[in-house]
Amino acid sequence: MHSILMNLSIGLQTAFTFTNILWVFIGGTLGTIIGMLPGLGPATGVAILIPITFGMNPATALITMAAVYYGAMFGGSRASIMLNIPGDASAIVSCFDGYPMTKKGKAGTALAISAIASFIGGMIGMIFMIFLSQPVASAALRFGPAEMFSLMLFALVATITLSEGNILKGLFAIVVGLMLSTIGIDPLAGVVRFTYGISSLNEGIDFLVVIIGVYAVTEVYKNLKSIDTVYNFDSKSIGKVRVSKEEFKQCLVPMLRSTPLGFVIGVLPGMGGTIATFMSYAMEKNLSKHPEEFGKGTIEGLAAPEAANNACSCGAMVPLLTLGIPGSATTAVMLGALMLLGVRPGPTLFADHPDIAWGVIASMLIGNIILLFINLPLAIPLVQLLRVPQRIMLPIVMGLGLIGAYFLNYSSFDLILVMISALVGYIFVILEVPLPPLVLALILGGTTEQSFRNAMVLSDGNPAIFFQKPISAVFIVLAGVSLVYALVRRRKQAAK
Amino acid sequence: MTTNILTGIISIVLGLVYSITALRLPHMTMGDRLGPKIFPYFVGIVTIITGIAMILQDRNPEKRSKKVDFGFKEHKNVWIKIGLLTIAGIVFGLVIDGLGYMIATALFMFFVSMLINRGKLVQNIVIAVLFSVVTYFVFGVALKLSLPRGIIETMLPF
Repeated sequence: MHSILMNLSIGLQTAFTFTNILWVFIGGTLGTIIGMLPGLGPATGVAILIPITFGMNPATALITMAAVYYGAMFGGSRASIMLNIPGDASAIVSCFDGYPMTKKGKAGTALAISAIASFIGGMIGMIFMIFLSQPVASAALRFGPAEMFSLMLFALVATITLSEGNILKGLFAIVVGLMLSTIGIDPLAGVVRFTYGISSLNEGIDFLVVIIGVYAVTEVYKNLKSIDTVYNFDSKSIGKVRVSKEEFKQCLVPMLRSTPLGFVIGVLPGMGGTIATFMSYAMEKNLSKHPEEFGKGTIEGLAAPEAANNACSCGAMVPLLTLGIPGSATTAVMLGALMLLGVRPGPTLFADHPDIAWGVIASMLIGNIILLFINLPLAIPLVQLLRVPQRIMLPIVMGLGLIGAYFLNYSSFDLILVMISALVGYIFVILEVPLPPLVLALILGGTTEQSFRNAMVLSDGNPAIFFQKPISAVFIVLAGVSLVYALVRRRKQAAK
Repeated sequence: MTTNILTGIISIVLGLVYSITALRLPHMTMGDRLGPKIFPYFVGIVTIITGIAMILQDRNPEKRSKKVDFGFKEHKNVWIKIGLLTIAGIVFGLVIDGLGYMIATALFMFFVSMLINRGKLVQNIVIAVLFSVVTYFVFGVALKLSLPRGIIETMLPF
């Protein structure tokens, strides 16, 4: 307890500088705006905003990206409430009761409660995060290569088994990601692999290039069919952006119940905000005294999933910061951007750079408060941005993505790779192959292979090492169990 | 053809090409004996197995996955735009060093806007010029990234 407070005070010292607070404000506002725009989620937001972190010190960079991330979580529900169009997948549930509230003329209340619920979910989620991070990081410090490999294996398998969709297609996405990660000079043996004679590939594929391709440019392609849609709403009917005491009381217990649920789902790899919000909505509907009103504009139906969503994004930061394993697409993008700055999140981050690790945690606390103030008084001016037509927004997203990719290495070859990734990403979308497992595997592929080979060298080539080490064995068993469970569950679903 | 079968075929072909390439990598005689081949080899095998499993999953005609629909006919315009955007992105990368950041970016943005926001010539010129100037000042001046300098950039005092 004492050490946690000590660390938190180190973190607050880092976070409480003028520059960092300014960037929390800028990042949070930009994140809110991007999260708000239909079709563009937090992963796209972080991907196209990576260049603004160039030249920053790693602590400020991570603080800025975290601000973009949860800013997008605050903003995600704006379009759901006003237009019945979710800003990203985790804001689908917010349409269920948020839009009916708008139709009843209570848009202001809906906007207010969604900001307040996001704030409460985020605040409590961060307290969980503070207490969980240090023990997880300390435990992971003792991991050898065998444990590391099994953990990576579990994380990758969990990404496809815990999320919805076809498991084999998820597996396909993972192996493609792993294949891409092996391209270039092998760091352990110095052998050039899988470049097929293209010398520009010798240094490997920069995963940020692929990320920008699939999260910025592919997103633009996906939206091309709907560029003529005009979004409109009546600003005058929004009403006052506030909630009454009774309404707040009505929402308090649902928000408090959904927060731990969202947090736990966030910690698990592969289960993002979408699942957290759906589960929280289902839970509240079951527990409610008036379940028939859900879907007709009941305020708890909006508050609970919003709280779960923000708690979930705090949960997702735990494996990212302590283990270096991103659990969601957005945290994967953040990991990529950090590695670019020479910071490798993982257990050693807490030991070697407590100022960075705890600075981010502290800045998230501050950022959450700042975002509440951005989202309550500025709610009405901000939602006006929903009127900016897609045909103007999409070229800007594409432009930001491309210049960002160019800034990475000033290489025109990278832009060729961005365009190829975007095209392949679009084909994967049509084939219903999920993209997050591919990105995750591409990022983790290098470490996975290295820990595998280091473990094999330690054991003199005997693969039994992965089962002899107890922690490693547990992860492998977990991976196996989740795979079998997922296959059985899906078979049952298919039988219905 | 269903999405499962097509993805399965892609998976098998990819797995085969990748495994064969992995097998042809040089053999290490000392140190890490399994060397750089073993991991890719495993990945290749898993890819092939995944592909076969995907095809087998669709053997029951009642539970088949959806038919592949690229929409080449229905969304012909979208595909033409994607094709042109791909070429534009590649060309942008090739000319940016020669033309300098501002001109190359403005031309690229103008082209992209004309494709997506059709028929709004003036609006698109404004978007293109503003985007290029604003991003130059944000990244090149405020954040001090070294951007490719062309005619315009060398005339600027910073």
